[in-house]
Amino acid sequence: MKMKSMKKVVGPEYNLGDKIKTNVYAVGVAMQESVYPHTATVFYPRERKKMPDNFRGFILFDPDKCISCFNCSFVCPANAIRMKEAPNKRYYPTVDYGRCIFCHFCIDSCSGGALKATKIHDVAYKDMDAMFTPTEEMIELPEIIREDKKYVEYEIKEDDLHLKRTKGEDYLFVEVPPPKEIPMVSTCIDPDSCIGCRVCAEVCEHGAISASVEDGGTLRMKIDTDECTGCGLCVKECSMQILMLNKLERK
Amino acid sequence: MSNQVSIPLIEPMLDSLPEIPMLQYMVAFMLWKPIFALLICPGLTVGGLSLLFFPWIERKLCGRAQWRVGPHEIVWWLGGVIQLLADSLRFLFQEVIVHKDAHRPYFLQFPFLSFMIFLLPLLFIPAGTIVAIQTPYAIQIILALVCLFPLFILGFGWASNSRFAYIGTVREAFMYFAYEIPFIIAAIAMIILYGTSDPLLMASRQSIPGIILNPVAALVFFIGAAMATGRMPFEIPDSDQELCAGPHVEYSGIAFGLIYVLCYEKGYILSALMTILFLGGGSGPAIAGLGDLSGVFWFVVKTYLVLTTLFMLRAVYPRYRLDQGLKLGWSPMLVMAIIGLAISLVVVAVRVI
Amino acid sequence: MAAATGVAGQSEWEVAVPEKPLKDKTYFENLKAKVIDTNLCSRCLTCAAICPGGITVVGNKVDFPDYETKCLDCGACVRVCPRFVYEPKSGLGDYIEFIAGRSKRFAGQDGAMVTELLVSAIEMGMIDRGLFAGRDEKWATEMFHVREPEQLAITTLGGTKYTFADVLPALKEAVGFTKRGVGIVGTPCIVSGVRKLQQEYPIFRERVKLVVGLFCTENFHYGDIGKFLQEKGVDFSKLIKTDITKGKFIATMSDGEKVKFKIKEVEEIVASGCGVCTDFTAVESDASVGSVGSEKGFSTVVVREEPAKKVIDFIKEKEHADFGEAKPEELDYLINLKKGREKNINSDAASS
Repeated sequence: MKMKSMKKVVGPEYNLGDKIKTNVYAVGVAMQESVYPHTATVFYPRERKKMPDNFRGFILFDPDKCISCFNCSFVCPANAIRMKEAPNKRYYPTVDYGRCIFCHFCIDSCSGGALKATKIHDVAYKDMDAMFTPTEEMIELPEIIREDKKYVEYEIKEDDLHLKRTKGEDYLFVEVPPPKEIPMVSTCIDPDSCIGCRVCAEVCEHGAISASVEDGGTLRMKIDTDECTGCGLCVKECSMQILMLNKLERK
Repeated sequence: MSNQVSIPLIEPMLDSLPEIPMLQYMVAFMLWKPIFALLICPGLTVGGLSLLFFPWIERKLCGRAQWRVGPHEIVWWLGGVIQLLADSLRFLFQEVIVHKDAHRPYFLQFPFLSFMIFLLPLLFIPAGTIVAIQTPYAIQIILALVCLFPLFILGFGWASNSRFAYIGTVREAFMYFAYEIPFIIAAIAMIILYGTSDPLLMASRQSIPGIILNPVAALVFFIGAAMATGRMPFEIPDSDQELCAGPHVEYSGIAFGLIYVLCYEKGYILSALMTILFLGGGSGPAIAGLGDLSGVFWFVVKTYLVLTTLFMLRAVYPRYRLDQGLKLGWSPMLVMAIIGLAISLVVVAVRVI
Repeated sequence: MAAATGVAGQSEWEVAVPEKPLKDKTYFENLKAKVIDTNLCSRCLTCAAICPGGITVVGNKVDFPDYETKCLDCGACVRVCPRFVYEPKSGLGDYIEFIAGRSKRFAGQDGAMVTELLVSAIEMGMIDRGLFAGRDEKWATEMFHVREPEQLAITTLGGTKYTFADVLPALKEAVGFTKRGVGIVGTPCIVSGVRKLQQEYPIFRERVKLVVGLFCTENFHYGDIGKFLQEKGVDFSKLIKTDITKGKFIATMSDGEKVKFKIKEVEEIVASGCGVCTDFTAVESDASVGSVGSEKGFSTVVVREEPAKKVIDFIKEKEHADFGEAKPEELDYLINLKKGREKNINSDAASS
């Protein structure tokens, strides 16, 4: 069934002169490359390719800044982060590098800025079980044996790729300034639906929520915006889901 | 010409030998031309070295054309030169699996028999003045023997008794039809041009190299050689991406090693033939002190040059389809071969006159 | 001092604390003493829905395991329990329309009007999910969120279950993430539980948009009725319909076999809370549906409130169902039967 919109597709036509010219040019390029090669191989591990500063690699952890908000564990798309209990009764993240996809969502969502990025992309493990990294191993950089004497950068000049080799070692850990903090506090968006269970007051680590029974049979709930760090635990635990984090405007 | 290879460089050492009885006879035996041609050049040593060396050169050059490095890690400061040695060691230790459906005697014997077809033409190819058997019919004998190569490939493709091997074998048979006739016509054109088919006489008649006298025949012979050895753009029986390995697919271990070098052997012989027919084979400015060996040296240089060009095409060209290859063999190449024949007839007429 | 801005939120608020009759005990113990242990409890599970601790069903009773340590003493259970301060409802109730309907596209107990009402509400955009009760492989009830008519291909969603389904805990969960609103179907005790929730907490007023009630005389616990039916020879893998009509319980199997017995035989396993329930037609619902009052194959629909009227008008406009006449007189016998249970309350209840 022939349709009106059908077109016959033909290949491009070359005459003999063009064919010979392209053949000769191709062989000429091959001969030229044999003599003066533009090899684009990076001789790893004797050389290393220089990665850009925001390259997503191994994740470092600073326990002092962690507020155990579990944000990293919730946001991880590959379910690679499990929170494990530490001896001081707080929960710290552990990363399973068998599942980690190095998206760094955890670092972006860390409320306290405790997770940090490095450029290390070639940690080696002996078996799958060793890829499960406990918190202690995330605090310091992993042991690196640096065999590289040079680092390589790709340069594109006049439509051609060149390799620029520089002597020296590429740094692996980048100090990134902490993100500008937008202070958020917890507020109740539907106070009439509060059932007065006081779970928020119990779960708050910083004692910002207080519940007091007054004479006359009313329960007074109060969120101290100075104490509230915006970790979001009360928002998660509220039985009626009526707490929300809001931006704080300081007057 | 004397029967002994004369190398002025080592003459003094040879003169001091008669003191030791057996050594004198052994050295004289080694320097006897037929044995020298057979064992050293262009025989087993040089041929064998080219088998060890040429795959490496091919991989390195193709890597360079493709912006990568070829074999690199084995002895990396030398550039991985002994890669083929490592490969052949590995082939030696690998198990030769003969699958249930194969015709076992043919499956195992053909690779070794094909080696014989490699050795026989070496007797007739001269390197300079050194040749094993000198006969006026050398070129025809070499051509006839070279025509037997595809038979062995068909043999072990058929003995493999498997689908991919069958497809590859049939393709090899088709390609055999495609290149054989223009190839032979080009060789005959050169024989007519020189008036003789004795390679030593051919070399002496090439004051102007054959490639300038009859470039059309040279081109046809070169393309025919590319088709015969299964080099790009004609890697049709062996197409890696389509057939895995064509007729070689069922082999492993040392049998595969022998088949793998079969195409390089063929390339060596055809390049040697091309040097003799078109490039003057062995003639060149004499290097003082080497005597007969200077002919050998130039022969080796020219053969390696032809081989390198043949193998470098792999990096440049994609692969022809089977029907395009057949069409190429029968339409343009046959026509060009006949034109080459005509040109050489004209040249003979002009020179004679 | 800093103030919070953004979506209208407050940092200080007050919660009314309910009265505690037994002052030295937790609110759950109060509930237990007044409602559960006096057999007033209808197992509507409104308390279990709202409790942030762990009120749940243990065996055939509502209970709170480990309440000594886990009860937060918030008083929410006492606030929402319809029988903590029991004002029994009875009669036919107010209504806008009294009709019989038969859905053209769904199959249910009689006319499948419950399914039709909820699915049409979804199609209208009034709600984004309806909570239905289906069956698992052991024939126990499990709650489903129905968001599209295609899901009704699961045949166990329609039809009367004659056993308790945990509608209100599922409702509390759904209210947490619904965007447009939730619709539910339940027995009169469940309907009064929802109305109590709506009275106490505005979030339920906003997000529960359609409440369909069922005509109900009594209900059975799954363990009891399941065992009874198995002893009578009912094969649960083939069971497709259960029906109580004209004093008989009829279980229909997929191969046409029927198991019948008189209703009097199951009187001893009727749930205890039903003995004090006086509401036959679910007078607090938006619409009530049942089989009494219309001919075979049709369901009686008592349209009471505006939302249900809008849905019925939508059904009439799209012609998804046939409508016919329903006779209110036919309900009188059962309404009076249930009204007579008022006398059971005074003898059972503790002083309120």
